[in-house]
Amino acid sequence: MKENILIIGGGAAGMEAATQLHKMGLNPIIIEKSEALGGHIAQWDRLFPAFHPAKDVVDKMLDQVKGIDVRLNTEVVDIQRDNNGFHAVLSNNEKIDAQAVILATGFDVFKAERKQEYGYGIYNNVMTSVELEKFFRTGKDDRINHPKRIGFVHCVGARDVKVCNTYCSKVCCTTALKQACEIKEVFPDAEVYTFYMDLRMFGPGYEDLYLKTQKDFDVKCVRGRVCEVSEDMDGKLVIKAEDTLFGKPLKMTLDLLVLMCSMEKNKSIDAIQQKLGVANNSDGFMQNKDMYLGMNDTAQDGVFVAGACTAPKSLPDTIGEARSVATQVYNYLNR
Amino acid sequence: MNSQIFHPFVLPFVLGMAFVLTYCVVGLLRVIGQLPKDDRKQFWRSLVTPKTAWANIRDLVGDCLFHVKIWKRNPVLGYMHTAIAFGWFMIIVIGHVMLFTLRPLEGVEVQGIERMLPNFYYPIFFKYFAEETPIFAVLMDFFLLMIISGILIAVVKKIHSKIVGVKRIMHFGFADNMIRFALWTIFPFRLIAEKSNIMAFWWLYSIDLMVFMFMLPFTRYMHIPTEALFILLRHAGLKPREPRKGYALAQIYSCPSCGLCIDACPMSVNDKNSGNTSAYFMKRLRNGDREEAQRIAETCMQCGKCVAVCPVSIESCDIKMSQREAVPYTINSNHSYLDAYYPSETSNAPVLYFAGCMTQLTPKIMRAMKKIMEAAGEKYEFMDKDGGVCCGRPMLLSGKTAEAQAMMAKNTELIKQSGAKRLVLSCPICYKVFKEEYQLEGVEILHHTQYIDELVKKGKLKVNKNEVNYVYHDPCELGRAFGVYDEPREVIESIGNLCKAKSEKELSICCGGSLGSFNLTQQERDEITTISVNDLMFNNPDEIVTACPLCLKTFARKSPVAVKDIAEVVADQLK
Repeated sequence: MKENILIIGGGAAGMEAATQLHKMGLNPIIIEKSEALGGHIAQWDRLFPAFHPAKDVVDKMLDQVKGIDVRLNTEVVDIQRDNNGFHAVLSNNEKIDAQAVILATGFDVFKAERKQEYGYGIYNNVMTSVELEKFFRTGKDDRINHPKRIGFVHCVGARDVKVCNTYCSKVCCTTALKQACEIKEVFPDAEVYTFYMDLRMFGPGYEDLYLKTQKDFDVKCVRGRVCEVSEDMDGKLVIKAEDTLFGKPLKMTLDLLVLMCSMEKNKSIDAIQQKLGVANNSDGFMQNKDMYLGMNDTAQDGVFVAGACTAPKSLPDTIGEARSVATQVYNYLNR
Repeated sequence: MNSQIFHPFVLPFVLGMAFVLTYCVVGLLRVIGQLPKDDRKQFWRSLVTPKTAWANIRDLVGDCLFHVKIWKRNPVLGYMHTAIAFGWFMIIVIGHVMLFTLRPLEGVEVQGIERMLPNFYYPIFFKYFAEETPIFAVLMDFFLLMIISGILIAVVKKIHSKIVGVKRIMHFGFADNMIRFALWTIFPFRLIAEKSNIMAFWWLYSIDLMVFMFMLPFTRYMHIPTEALFILLRHAGLKPREPRKGYALAQIYSCPSCGLCIDACPMSVNDKNSGNTSAYFMKRLRNGDREEAQRIAETCMQCGKCVAVCPVSIESCDIKMSQREAVPYTINSNHSYLDAYYPSETSNAPVLYFAGCMTQLTPKIMRAMKKIMEAAGEKYEFMDKDGGVCCGRPMLLSGKTAEAQAMMAKNTELIKQSGAKRLVLSCPICYKVFKEEYQLEGVEILHHTQYIDELVKKGKLKVNKNEVNYVYHDPCELGRAFGVYDEPREVIESIGNLCKAKSEKELSICCGGSLGSFNLTQQERDEITTISVNDLMFNNPDEIVTACPLCLKTFARKSPVAVKDIAEVVADQLK
């Protein structure tokens, strides 16, 4: 009998880990709480830095997991461990025994309402980066009516002590520039501004994207945080910020404001995580064994982690970790 | 009965007594001498003003004699303290009464100075020198045993404080421990001496008294004589001007280091921080440890709970503020923009609404207030619609009075110019400073809880009642600072069900977001927020309602249920 590996989460990390384990001749089982595989990436339109359609990547991954045991609309409700391995109970009352568990539970998007000063859920023309991506995908959003001036706020819920998230969310900088270019494509006459603390262009082609954003798309990048948003008589947004390069406060009227929401730990897994004995790190994400050689291991033997459940990660980071976790699991089972 | 008028064992007591009396007189003159001239005048006047004179008598009897506030806080501690202090007071009084009833002493013929001399020590060592009449003998034994019962509780408290309902007690140095030992042994020695008449115990008793009195000025027991003076100064309405002079000095010496504020302080949730509580602050100040006192003053969140639970009513928050003023926070600020700042327009509306910076960052509250004022048909002007000048509280908290005054002057000018008769504020932080520091004669200052309550009661605001269970959090600067407890609760009762938090009103726990502290870490604040939220969730409410934008933002991070401002919940229930 093939050895079962329980993979919690059917996003990029879960799918890629399952693919690799399957190729190794093991029997991965993906437990996905939503109705489809693909996770957050399936909600995305195009990927930075090259505007590559996300659907391409997701479709390829879906193709690879064909033949792998997948349970959709299912959650793990209980998990116990004994000398024979792990014994999980699913929300459909099914019981699964497994030799190893991979937590590939990913992230939650920061709830923009928590930064009330940015007016999400209060003013009509404030939206999140996730919603804008949906607009690019579907072409529909009531809030977007030929905006003349558009602003992007970086680091919403990231690097912000006031919401208890001190970490950098890694992908929002590049996403903001990508989205700024894309909205400019849709509305070429609009003025587009981004308000950033630092622009962290850490990957290949990212810095080029930054230059392109300014040169080819005429997006204006302002170094400074937006502090307050209000609405004027006509329903337009009035933002206050500081241009730290000029050292001057700034006030601007906008038709649309996009909040680049950070990644937060996916809390829906907390109960199972606790039963498995995996702790959180100071950022609230899952704690792996060590950040260099034990990035897929946890304090518990046989419990592995991959993807954005341990920290904010880009898609290539996640794929890399998913492949490495497969090796780790293989070695664990053959030790 | 020993028919003599003197025995050398009374000497230690007499010496100790002379020392303490001298020290107290000098101390009294020093405190009064250090008061600023105006304060001193105010003090003398208060002594002859009927209202304050009555308050003085009431508190001198209630607090110094019967310790009413300790009883209210914790009956076991109330009994412990009353047994010792009131018991001791009574045996001194009875001793003196007996002195009068028994004179002239049988078989003793004395005159002049020798006739007066025994008055000093007879009441203290009565049984050695004269015979007690039976009724007094019973009374004396009763009070002596009462004191000893109090001491037994004190011993238990020292060993295992939780039995008497106290989690954390103060940790003392050598002097405080030694004087406590002296205090605990005085009365057993006296009892043994009286019953056995063994000379050694009369000596021990007297020496114990001497030790106690010589150490008194240098230990927490100095609160015994000082509290009386402090009560008089407090009723005169004085404010501490300097952290270790005058009125503040009287407060420092009045602090009994009982440690009740340690359990009350929200910071104590982290044991490491229980050393930052007011009891320790007062001790540092007394010992002249300025650096530590400054650090604690800057760590304090100024929530005022220590003041609320203090059995002596020490105004430790005010003293910490004067300590901050003595060493202001080192930031340089430029307020030259104030001269160029003009409001957009004035409409001569009777109500002026000032949102303040924190409310500007929580626009839901502003929106709700607009909706409410419009629904009530109120004519109002929005003072800081396009941004305004800060109320000045953050600068005051940093000890930067001059900068705060520059902003306060600008706001005063703007308010006076507007011609408004009422100023409505959404932020308790602003409310405190407008109420306490601004000179706005003819302008009524209201927090929006009071304003909404009035609109509802006058029938100007029609609201629906729903079935939501709300719990109300008392913001420190609205509740403890001004006693605004009932208005918000009545408003909530008119729109839904009000359920109780575990600790309410003056015992409400700071949200942890306080502007007051400069050096609490985010993690330490989070720990406080968590206990405060748990306390509010005690009866499983559906929503947490507060009346401060800062509490709102702070709770929103940790609360399992929705957190709303009282204006928001009212605006949602308008008919």
